[in-house]
Amino acid sequence: MSVLIDSILAILAVYLALQCLLAPRLTQTVFIFFAFGLALALAWVRLGAVDVAITEAAIASGFLGVLFLDALRDFSFTAPNKRENLEAVHDPLSRNDTKSLLLPRLALWLGLGLFLLIALEAVWKIPDGGGLTAAAEALLPESGVEHPVTAVLLNFRAYDTWLEIGVILLGLLAIFAVGGIKLYRKPGVAADDPLLRQVILFFTPVLFLFGAFLLYFGKTGPGGAFQAAVLWGAIGILLHLGGRPVFSVIPRWLGQLLLTVGLVFFLVLGFLLMAGGGALFEYPPAHAGVLILIVETLAAISIAAALTAIFANLNQMKKEEPNEIESTN
Amino acid sequence: MDGFFIIVIVFLLLNIALGLFRVWRGPTVADRLLTTQLFGTTGMAILLVMAGYLKDLTLLNVAITFNVLAVLLVIGLVQVWKKKKGETP
Repeated sequence: MSVLIDSILAILAVYLALQCLLAPRLTQTVFIFFAFGLALALAWVRLGAVDVAITEAAIASGFLGVLFLDALRDFSFTAPNKRENLEAVHDPLSRNDTKSLLLPRLALWLGLGLFLLIALEAVWKIPDGGGLTAAAEALLPESGVEHPVTAVLLNFRAYDTWLEIGVILLGLLAIFAVGGIKLYRKPGVAADDPLLRQVILFFTPVLFLFGAFLLYFGKTGPGGAFQAAVLWGAIGILLHLGGRPVFSVIPRWLGQLLLTVGLVFFLVLGFLLMAGGGALFEYPPAHAGVLILIVETLAAISIAAALTAIFANLNQMKKEEPNEIESTN
Repeated sequence: MDGFFIIVIVFLLLNIALGLFRVWRGPTVADRLLTTQLFGTTGMAILLVMAGYLKDLTLLNVAITFNVLAVLLVIGLVQVWKKKKGETP
């Protein structure tokens, strides 16, 4: 009977993905993308990957949602027409420069084709017995946590997670490079809307508490640093939208410290462990649980700060230069 | 009991599919945003029913995540689009 649910979910997900690409207007695309995120989260739940479902819910419906809304507003500035203006953006290639795009297109097709082949090859030979699942579960008692996903992410493959934090920071640096660091300069005008103020006052502790809960719960079940970071980052975004940009209130060195502390602590810890004679992220089993919790907390703080900074910077960058997009197209 | 859960889940999924119509048509951004709020609520309901169906209480975490972040979208829309002069979204 549950085949019915799965088939509806599968059809819905594929249909929404197609609509996302094919919808004629940008607003439709953005909002269909939210629905797509929901369908994907439900699909992940059905596949038994609750961790991924939480991440999908947090990133797709929360963080990407506000980013997309912000981008949507910027696009609507550039076109003269009021309501139907978003159609024009969808067809940015004018007729005469199709020839110059032939090479990039060919490269894109080749790259995607190659990627597809590699993916197919990887799917083709799934090893018997579920790959490394058994190995990971056998070593679970030594990892310091009880949830296999957290054990893999923060102990067995801590290297990957460390680099992922770096990738987010790199994204922020790229935004700085394009838009300049305006973030630290101007404090916004505080919102005088009493309703908005109450909503922010109410949701800030809720978001913080639930983020902290997810962070700690990651030890025994689905949850962890990234999910918590999105919830904490949502606090920063809320405050920014309420006219109190976090990064212009706190001193500059503190902002930089918040942004980098996760990456740096991970790095220092790794090298200290190496100096102690182990491999790069080889936690001593006796202290692994505590170390993982500290690493996760600091990583969550850093990612949350980076997400806040990304949103704040993008939001301010285009508010000041509404015509920027037009010129780059 | 399982049959009941499945019927409810399928019904809610079909609700989402119907809501897509408003995303497609919806003349203003606010209409479309309200539909995504409906999706969020329906998704939460599906997750709660699924938690009963799969007997996995950790699904409640997914539901709460959806729930607390839904407010971000609404505030984002209001605050971001308010700056468009004179026109409500």
